[in-house]
Amino acid sequence: MTDSENFPAGPGEIEPAQPSAPGSGGPTRRGLLQGAAGIAAAGVVLAHPNIVRAASETPVKIGFIEDESGNLSIYGIQKLHAARLAVQEINDGYTLAGGPVGSGCLGTMGLYSPAPPTLTSGPGAKLNIINDGGTPSEQAIVTADTQEILIPSGEKGLLGRPVDLVSSDGQSNNTLWQQLARRMIQQDKVDVLMAGFASAEREAIRPIVDQRKQLYFYTNQYEGGVADGYTFCTGAVCEQQVIPVMQYMVEKFGPKIFTIAANYNFGQLTAAWVRSFAPVLKAKVIGEEFPPLEVSEFSSVIAKVQAAKPDWVMTLLVGQNQSNYYPQAAAAGLHLPMASTVNMAQGYEHKRFTPPSLANMHNAVNYMQEIPTKRNQDFVTRFYKMFPNDPYLGQEAQNAYFTIHLYAKAARLIGTTDQEKVRRTLEAGWAIEAPEGTVFLEPATHHVSHYIRLAATDEKQQISFLREWPMIEAWWLQRLGVNLVRHPEHKQYTPQEDPFFKMFG
Amino acid sequence: MPPELASILYQFGTNAAFLLLSALGLIVILGMMNIINLAHGEFMMLGAYVASFTVHRGIPFPLAVILAFFATGAFGIVLERLVIRRFYGRELGALVTTWGISLILAQGALLLFGPYMPPIPIPGGAVSEGVYSFSVYWLILIGISIALVAALTLIYRATPFGLQARATMQNPAIARSLGIRTGRVYMLTFGLGAGLAGLSGALLAPATSIAPFMGQQFVAPAFITVVVGGGANVIAGAIGSSTFLSLIETPVSLTLGTFYGTMALLIMALLIIRVLPAGISSLGAHLRPAVAR
Repeated sequence: MTDSENFPAGPGEIEPAQPSAPGSGGPTRRGLLQGAAGIAAAGVVLAHPNIVRAASETPVKIGFIEDESGNLSIYGIQKLHAARLAVQEINDGYTLAGGPVGSGCLGTMGLYSPAPPTLTSGPGAKLNIINDGGTPSEQAIVTADTQEILIPSGEKGLLGRPVDLVSSDGQSNNTLWQQLARRMIQQDKVDVLMAGFASAEREAIRPIVDQRKQLYFYTNQYEGGVADGYTFCTGAVCEQQVIPVMQYMVEKFGPKIFTIAANYNFGQLTAAWVRSFAPVLKAKVIGEEFPPLEVSEFSSVIAKVQAAKPDWVMTLLVGQNQSNYYPQAAAAGLHLPMASTVNMAQGYEHKRFTPPSLANMHNAVNYMQEIPTKRNQDFVTRFYKMFPNDPYLGQEAQNAYFTIHLYAKAARLIGTTDQEKVRRTLEAGWAIEAPEGTVFLEPATHHVSHYIRLAATDEKQQISFLREWPMIEAWWLQRLGVNLVRHPEHKQYTPQEDPFFKMFG
Repeated sequence: MPPELASILYQFGTNAAFLLLSALGLIVILGMMNIINLAHGEFMMLGAYVASFTVHRGIPFPLAVILAFFATGAFGIVLERLVIRRFYGRELGALVTTWGISLILAQGALLLFGPYMPPIPIPGGAVSEGVYSFSVYWLILIGISIALVAALTLIYRATPFGLQARATMQNPAIARSLGIRTGRVYMLTFGLGAGLAGLSGALLAPATSIAPFMGQQFVAPAFITVVVGGGANVIAGAIGSSTFLSLIETPVSLTLGTFYGTMALLIMALLIIRVLPAGISSLGAHLRPAVAR
């Protein structure tokens, strides 16, 4: 047990630091009573302290489904590898710093700083410092990012048990996803399920998750709006990504937008966000195209963009086939500025295509491997040490990584893998130190506040970060009044349901 | 020419060329040999891989495309000798086998070479016409696809090998009794089909992301083109169907969007197969007797 593991628990029913000797304790009497509802479910064996002790060598099973083959494998393999790294670290006795912070607030830091922020002068120092009144006497930047985020957890494994990653290949095939989710839940009896790249995949398995009351994490960035008591969404959503990047693009390039989006729920709903938010920025979507995922030849789309003459293009293209748009558009002489919420950070198109296909692309990301902070570069080093031949470590891989650590921390704190109890422990509100920065799991909406950076490419497709927002909340579900702790529900909201957006035309 | 017309012609040309190039190898393997080759996309992937591999070792792109033809063709010949020849006349057996081969090839490429190959820059620049600009490379591809189909026709109509191949496909027993080495003809025909798939894979490689599962995007267009074209005259059928289908797809995509364009293409393919089960080329066969007699 390290300091951070003894972090005071938040208000509510969480027993503070009860399982001080992990694996030997099990839940408290009070916790047991509270978990009575959960006992009725599949967790009955694990919830009983005596049996927990007897079965202490059975592994904790993390069910993990991603696309290791097919159209979406370019993302799935990264996520799988990052998950393996996280499991390896847990089994080696490490955890990410941070802990529950109660209901939290904007700017809540999971890490209590071991040292005050330090001032560093030198290149890039732009902050004027007034030391003794009067005129600025020094230029510096504030850095507090020297601390190690990967710290000892006090045990090897989780609750005295090894952690197993039970992974399956979804093969980019929605029907197969349903079968695999059923098998993971019913046959493998996983303690937690982490699965899903495409929103279509998530929506395919979410009814099964709800029916079986399975603790489920969706680690991808997506269009937002999922309000589901059993689901935790740890990726970034539209209000965290679309709005920052649109603000920048409208300021820099102009108000006329053309959207090209993959034709399924993700693309349609994200495009709806762009459309809804454009009037707020005094911008206008002057054209939209929704190519199906199977389309890989884009001459018609390119001609339409050329005819519409937008100031910039919002590309929300997904999968192997659709990434062909970039070289084809460049070859056809279409060199408009581009923005996206998916490209580069997930499918590393800036590395895969020869310049200038991906030049002048902008994306407000919560993670890319290029982030220059020390904590991230340490993470990148650890990843490539384990997977030296991997081509890229992207946003969703990082999400999968910190989510597994987050789960392990919550289970360790409550002293059981009982799904109901872990779920309620997670609803204490957690801030942990991820490679991107501090992330905060907001209890009421089951979504995560992220450190957002605006990444952009130059002509040589080199990444630079133009703006940073150290914490953007996933505020939209809060706006709609979603509170999954008080009022459990199992649906996905869409921008059309929010009268806010209609106010502006 | 008004720019709008140029743009429509260009879109029509690229759509048709894409269908034709996707179908090129399958014209031979499905259209002539009647093997439902589900590994067709993976043959195209192999061609693209060979092109990427050689281009990044300093070989000029046109030469890399030719190398892709021979490498994939040789691979096809080996595959025919080892596996495919055991399934002649057993359509479903060949279907399952080629599906298995496609899985092995795609997954094998993933394991051996990782999730993507270095891209090939698109040769040639762009030409402008009003607000529109067009890729020179796609314009060249339109020309190349026509030339390839013409060459294929020539091989089958004007060479001794073509004559032997047509005889073998029509009636292997009689062909054999006339002294044609049918085994060799099958082998070379399959090799030619595989090689052509590799060739078009290499030609399309600069416009795509070169990756293990890239073949899947070509399989549906290829089968639709060949099946809609029909078997009475495969080559003419494929030209007819790619032209006809892009004539439907292009205006619908332009007015209603890509989604409806794709849908229109599929609905039209469905209608043609329903009305003309033997494909567009059977239309010619219906008309020809009337003309000839």
